[in-house]
Amino acid sequence: MILSALNNYYQRLMARQVDGVAPFGYSQEKISFVLLLSKKGELVDVWKILDTTGKRPEARLLCVPQPEKRTSGVKSNFLWDKTSYALGVSSTSKRASEEHLAFKLLHKEALSDVKDPSVVAFLKFLDAWNPADYEKYDRLTRFGDELMDSNVVFRVDGEFCYLHESSVAQKIITQRHREEEQDSKSLCLVTGEEDSIARLHPVVKGVNGAQSSGANIVSFNRENPAFSSYGKVQGDNAPVSINAAFGYTTALNHLLRKGSRQRLQLGNTSVVFWAESSSTANAEAAEGLFSGLLDPSATDDSEADKLRSALEVVAKGRPMRELDPELEDDTRVCVLGLAPNASRLSVRFWESGSLHSFVERLAQHYRDLELQPLPWKREPSVGWLLLQTIPPHERFDNNKNIKKNAHEKVKPNLTGEMIRAVLTGGRYPQSLLANLIMRMRADGDISPLRVALCKAVLVRDARIANKLKEKEIPMSLDIENVEPGYLLGRLFAVLENAQEKALGGSVNSTIRDRYYGSASATPAIVFPVLVRNAQHHLSRLRKDNRGAAKNLAKQINEIVDKLPSFPKSLRIEAQGRFAIGYYHQNKARYVGQESSIEEGVEL
Amino acid sequence: MAYGTRLMVWGERACFTRPEMKVERVSYDVITPSAARGILEAIHWKPAIRWVIDRIQVLKPIRFESIRRNEVGSKISARNVSSAMNAGTTAGLVNYVDDPKERQQRAATVLRDVAYVIEAHFEITEKAGADDSEGKHLDIFNRRARKGQYFHAPCMGVREFPANFRLFEEGEPEPDVSLVGERDLGWMLHDFDFKNGCEPRFFRACMRDGLIEVPPFVSEEVKA
Repeated sequence: MILSALNNYYQRLMARQVDGVAPFGYSQEKISFVLLLSKKGELVDVWKILDTTGKRPEARLLCVPQPEKRTSGVKSNFLWDKTSYALGVSSTSKRASEEHLAFKLLHKEALSDVKDPSVVAFLKFLDAWNPADYEKYDRLTRFGDELMDSNVVFRVDGEFCYLHESSVAQKIITQRHREEEQDSKSLCLVTGEEDSIARLHPVVKGVNGAQSSGANIVSFNRENPAFSSYGKVQGDNAPVSINAAFGYTTALNHLLRKGSRQRLQLGNTSVVFWAESSSTANAEAAEGLFSGLLDPSATDDSEADKLRSALEVVAKGRPMRELDPELEDDTRVCVLGLAPNASRLSVRFWESGSLHSFVERLAQHYRDLELQPLPWKREPSVGWLLLQTIPPHERFDNNKNIKKNAHEKVKPNLTGEMIRAVLTGGRYPQSLLANLIMRMRADGDISPLRVALCKAVLVRDARIANKLKEKEIPMSLDIENVEPGYLLGRLFAVLENAQEKALGGSVNSTIRDRYYGSASATPAIVFPVLVRNAQHHLSRLRKDNRGAAKNLAKQINEIVDKLPSFPKSLRIEAQGRFAIGYYHQNKARYVGQESSIEEGVEL
Repeated sequence: MAYGTRLMVWGERACFTRPEMKVERVSYDVITPSAARGILEAIHWKPAIRWVIDRIQVLKPIRFESIRRNEVGSKISARNVSSAMNAGTTAGLVNYVDDPKERQQRAATVLRDVAYVIEAHFEITEKAGADDSEGKHLDIFNRRARKGQYFHAPCMGVREFPANFRLFEEGEPEPDVSLVGERDLGWMLHDFDFKNGCEPRFFRACMRDGLIEVPPFVSEEVKA
């Protein structure tokens, strides 16, 4: 399904004639130099062709004949290659002469019968060229190391296109592909049609962490019988036609390209998504909305408002066309998460569904997270949420900026399961809650986002298990809630408040710093001590502020009244509720006076 | 359906590997006919019979999970096995996952919490003797399945994921509500043509309300 969806996407890209998508037999490759040849086959000039639209000049992407798959062998590309092949000069390769010989042989063989003047000129150049001549050409040497080992293409003086783009060359390239196809055809399991089967598949480039030369989704190591079945070799293990193999890899490379708006990096997982729609505008609108919802932090404020209204529209069950006439509810969206494993790529997750269902699930996700007062201006992205599971010092550098490698610290499996939960509307990973609680105990950082995540895990679990009798955790302080975890969390917040009021804000280590972890895990051991100590704090406070002391004592009594006893230990879910109760109670202190008035304050 | 039988199978995890993604495994959405045949054969099989899968009813929502494990990267070669047989000792005939040369870390995207009802019948093969009859083998299968007996532990695609089973004798299976509607599952492995160089044959799997009709192995819809 993944490969056929990608292959279909390629067909649509081709039909739409999207820039930068190579036709069959071609590939987009980084080319930095053009060698200009005279009609007689002499090297006349060398041009540097760099793409200067970005911040830094970069090699230009040109559509060239598909590269050979090189791992350790010497195989030459057709009509273009790096300098070690094209010119026999290299600063890294120790077998440049061998490689240049392969380049020569390939072209002599393939082009010997061709009478076209530019091809003849090219062959003449190859005949006459001696790698030792390199030093003599100041046209070449003036670029120094920059030229070395970069990719070059050829152009003959007086022609308007590169050699590989000329009609003669194109004819030869198609012919070469036809020769590759075998006579015996078999069923392609992507398209379901009889076709020539690919022995090896083209590589996929641009997955973070994978080998820079590219990696494969479909691969079978020949020497490794553990990866193949029934003694079948390479492509016979999974018959995929040459066309389909080309289609899906090209589509994937297009999605993963630099600056693509259809990709997102989450931990070590590269996520790509695309919309299936015959109309370009529909597809782009859907992709834009989806990307904005999945990764809102990348957008500005007006964009955030737009996304919020999208969430609202869907939550109300209205069609998204109201928002933007180009948005179709039933546009199919595909999401693919790829994780690198050296030369192989593994599929972390794969989801496809209607745009409407995805927006609904994302809306549900953000609703599950919601706390009052809302602790964020924009909906937090999944990547940002995942960063909550690592210690703050690994998240930020000294200037409070997010560390570059912070995303790598998040447990890789957690990333996959988390995004899967967001996209499918299923349970959040169970390890997430355990992870958060462990982190809060360890670094005492009861941040709003961590609490929100705890709440989301518990709310969603309860909803899926359909525990109607269990009360859903509300967004803000709920004085009716009598769950021990929640109550203890609240009590802990009140006790901390008492300490702060009595001793001021300059205490070296507060009860939170010291007892949060043990209080949430083993209340029976910690709370009696804390409640006793609170009496000292209250008596101290009574001298300065009678009203506050009275109010705090009342709050403590109210909560303790609801507790039958201090439990010996709390399970992980109850510890999650503890965090939420603590957070709610703490926040209630600052939010207006409503909740306190209800509790009858004399302030 | 005269000699048909229905078997309910379920398990915590399952991995019906897609052939194109079997190095970093990704499972098909549902059990394949060949995996279903494997489960039936684990309970009862003789050279005299050949199992044919007719229908597969999916009962639980399709859910995935990804795992990453250390596995061995090679198989023990047949030559080493035969030389061990000659030598009469299995010394050295082993692959350790701890061995850094053998270790391969592989990821797998597998199914979580699956349950199916497999509807199947069998055909008598040319290897059948005079005392082999369909009724006899059906009785043997049903008796064994009822008692929970098997030749080797049936599994959900891979050995690590065992399959529980029981004979589904009455009533209609109730698929999960999430399976309502029609769903194209793409080209799926039907089975191997073992007589013809182990050639894989594929069919276009389509699920209607959780039910997948499996076309006969030799038919127009099944292509090699």
